[in-house]
Amino acid sequence: MTTGLSLWVMFLVVLNLGITFFLFLWAPRAKIPTLPDQTSGHVWAHGTVREGVRNLPLWWLLFSGAMFLAGFTYLVLYPGFGSHKGILGWTSHGELARDEAINNAKMDELLERFRQYPIEQLANDPAALQMGGRLFVDNCAACHGRGGYGNVKVGAPNLIDDDWLYGGTGADILASIHDGRSGLMPPWASLGEDNVKNLAQYVLSLSDSPHDAAKAAAGKPLFTTCAACHGAEGKGNPALGAPNLTDHVWLHGGKLEDIEHSIGGGRQGAMPPWNKRLTNDQIRVLAAYVYHLSHQGDAAAGQGHAKR
Amino acid sequence: MAYKHFEVIEKHAGLLGVLIAIMVSIGGLAEITPLFVQAHSVKAPPGVKPYDALRLAGRDVYVREGCYLCHSQMIRALRAETQRYGHFSTAEESVYDRPFQWGSKRTGPDLARVGGKYSDHWQRLHLEDPRQVEPESNMPAYPWLNDNKLDIADVQARMRTLRRLGDPYSDDDIAQANESLAGKTEMDALIAYLQGLGIKNEPVATVPVPVGHGDKP
Repeated sequence: MTTGLSLWVMFLVVLNLGITFFLFLWAPRAKIPTLPDQTSGHVWAHGTVREGVRNLPLWWLLFSGAMFLAGFTYLVLYPGFGSHKGILGWTSHGELARDEAINNAKMDELLERFRQYPIEQLANDPAALQMGGRLFVDNCAACHGRGGYGNVKVGAPNLIDDDWLYGGTGADILASIHDGRSGLMPPWASLGEDNVKNLAQYVLSLSDSPHDAAKAAAGKPLFTTCAACHGAEGKGNPALGAPNLTDHVWLHGGKLEDIEHSIGGGRQGAMPPWNKRLTNDQIRVLAAYVYHLSHQGDAAAGQGHAKR
Repeated sequence: MAYKHFEVIEKHAGLLGVLIAIMVSIGGLAEITPLFVQAHSVKAPPGVKPYDALRLAGRDVYVREGCYLCHSQMIRALRAETQRYGHFSTAEESVYDRPFQWGSKRTGPDLARVGGKYSDHWQRLHLEDPRQVEPESNMPAYPWLNDNKLDIADVQARMRTLRRLGDPYSDDDIAQANESLAGKTEMDALIAYLQGLGIKNEPVATVPVPVGHGDKP
């Protein structure tokens, strides 16, 4: 604040407090002329209502004095009187820094414990799951759903089945959250409409879904192009994030028109990287929570990382 | 001062009103005038650039659709807020917002740093119909944004006006709007705007804290 502005504010504060203080001192002493009946002579409603003159009640005077003192004390302790910072040196940013430090101190012990465990084991820690659940709802649920069941429209995979595009170990999940993933299925409309339809039938046949056998047979030779990513048997490739086509799990929908659209128009999957928004500790806790989501049905879940 | 002077005030409602207005305005003058003067000295920090043509168009869609009625763009300096949304907002970040979109009403979440949190595809689905991605959302759908094409000349006129107000747009910036806006819809513009919110304009270091009670825990 410039000196000019500071003086301006000080002037206004002094003016305001000055007027208030003057009234405070003057009002109890003011001599108000009264009529013999102790009224001021001011009348309303043809004389049925008259203004009485009484001294200010003591409680009112004391209360006003206390208010005045409170205002004065505030201006001494806190910023408000021009550029005077207040003898406490309080700032909202300082208070935030203190609150964060207090919170961090509380969290440190917990996070230190979390760091000792591998993610698969952290997935059994109730405190980690509670924290992970909060983080999941705030950051992940928008695409994967509150329950982690995914969203076909966004192309967000279901996280509660134990079926993984990029691998389901703790380290894989951690990498997916930390760095994000970008899946790319190129569009194959250039093959021609008939070929796309035939291929779609063949893809359906891979998972023994209802399909047109003749068209699927016609599409089979074309699958060599797809095999580069999805593998010769269509089992997918976690290194590329190419989905397994032989199970009944469909990232972008398993209806015939969905599959035709996936082949003809291609698909793009975008899992954003979270390393800029979340700390590494938070990402580990999230990875543990996601691991937990996908292993809730395991008999072995109670005993930790036994199944994998 | 004798009582008769006060009697004059008591007996003239107009005079009483004027004097009350003066007393009440003292607080306002002390609070508002310094901020008003300081607002002109707030400069853009490194990394904060004027909106490019597409984001500028998107910002106008944001204002037109009244997004500010439910979404604030101001993260307050409170732990619960900084933990959820990131670094608290500063005045410098909003120098190119006319008017600023801070707001104080949150039916939906704060958007000050939402840029990059979700994919473009997600934003599109969400604006077309929020229930597609968030079943419990009570946000309205904005499907018409997909149908409305941007008016390039209109956006360029806005950029020229903002330049007159002091935003550093070059002739090239304005000319390039021809290219960057070609064929774009209001949906594209709004998504571009949202995806840029808070990106790369976080304060580098926290504001220095004065020594004393508040600085160190």
